[in-house]
Amino acid sequence: MAYSTKVLDHYNNPRNVGSFDQADRTVGTGLVGAPECGDVLKLQIKVDPATGLIEDARFKTFGCGSAIASSSLATEWLRGKTIDEAMGIKNTAIVEELSLPPVKVHCSVLAEDAIKAAIKNFQDKQEVAEPAEAVGASN
Amino acid sequence: MIFHTDAVQAAGKVSLDVEAMGIDLLSISAHKLYGPKGIGALYVRKKDPRVRLDAIIDGGGHERGFRSGTLAVQQIVGLGVACELARLEMPTESQYLLRLREKLRRGIMDQLSDVYLNGHPTERLPGNLNLSFAYVEGEGLMMGIKDIAVSSGSACTSASLEPSYVLKALGVGDELAHSSIRFGLGRFTTEEEVEFTIDALVREVTRLREMSPLYEMVQQGIDISKIEWAAH
Repeated sequence: MAYSTKVLDHYNNPRNVGSFDQADRTVGTGLVGAPECGDVLKLQIKVDPATGLIEDARFKTFGCGSAIASSSLATEWLRGKTIDEAMGIKNTAIVEELSLPPVKVHCSVLAEDAIKAAIKNFQDKQEVAEPAEAVGASN
Repeated sequence: MIFHTDAVQAAGKVSLDVEAMGIDLLSISAHKLYGPKGIGALYVRKKDPRVRLDAIIDGGGHERGFRSGTLAVQQIVGLGVACELARLEMPTESQYLLRLREKLRRGIMDQLSDVYLNGHPTERLPGNLNLSFAYVEGEGLMMGIKDIAVSSGSACTSASLEPSYVLKALGVGDELAHSSIRFGLGRFTTEEEVEFTIDALVREVTRLREMSPLYEMVQQGIDISKIEWAAH
């Protein structure tokens, strides 16, 4: 199968590979997919408590080149965004940016799911946290 | 009961004996044994039992009605010569391929952990090696070793997401089937190519494991089989 130049670029030079401490209150972790389906994406966001902006993002992906590229791209797009803006990232935008063929659309769906899961995890953490130290991004 | 076997992969690689193996019908194809593309042969048992076939090409009734039409003589000769060479070369070629295949297998398994052999260790074609690299997805791995022509049992390109049914039939779980790569070695494979493949595999599997959430979890002592993964 022919991969687009952008998929190849993200596959060969993936952005923001790595992990944050899952226990960190400013970190949200999304883990989606399943090994027996051939795709697992772990995506993490780190939110600046002062500004409510996603200051950094990391990923680790078990999957094909398109799954790796979709998650790498997602971390690039997440940096500097507010939680609301991040919620607005659609899989169709990933499909378009990476020129994913129809059989690879599910990779972009997983990336969107991972973003939403990471945000939800972050928001859940803020609810159980002390209200006096409320973090700006939780809206 | 009539027994047909698709021997396209076996012919010319391992010895076949239709009497000893109880084969009534056997298909071969020239291009799998270094012959021309576009020609194959079907062995049809003549007695004990006699196998009767319905023609799928009608017309002038050539070949006693089995296959009407003009034969591609040059293709038939090509298949014949390919078979002759295969029979002559098989004893030395299978030894050569076995040695290269074991060099490839050991070279990879000595340097990488969590690599599993799919299929039988010895009862297999001399030039065939199928390995699963745990925590790395097969198609993703193929992309990283693009100078090497291999195939994967992972069906990430298909809509079904179902991995190879052959590996499943061999008892390989879905997870490792998605991590499988099949290597084919042949008459023209060289020692240098095997060394190149070992180096590329070790480098790429190591890189992709550093990127794999499953590998990370296993390093942290998490049992990934106990995680409730969401099906998708």
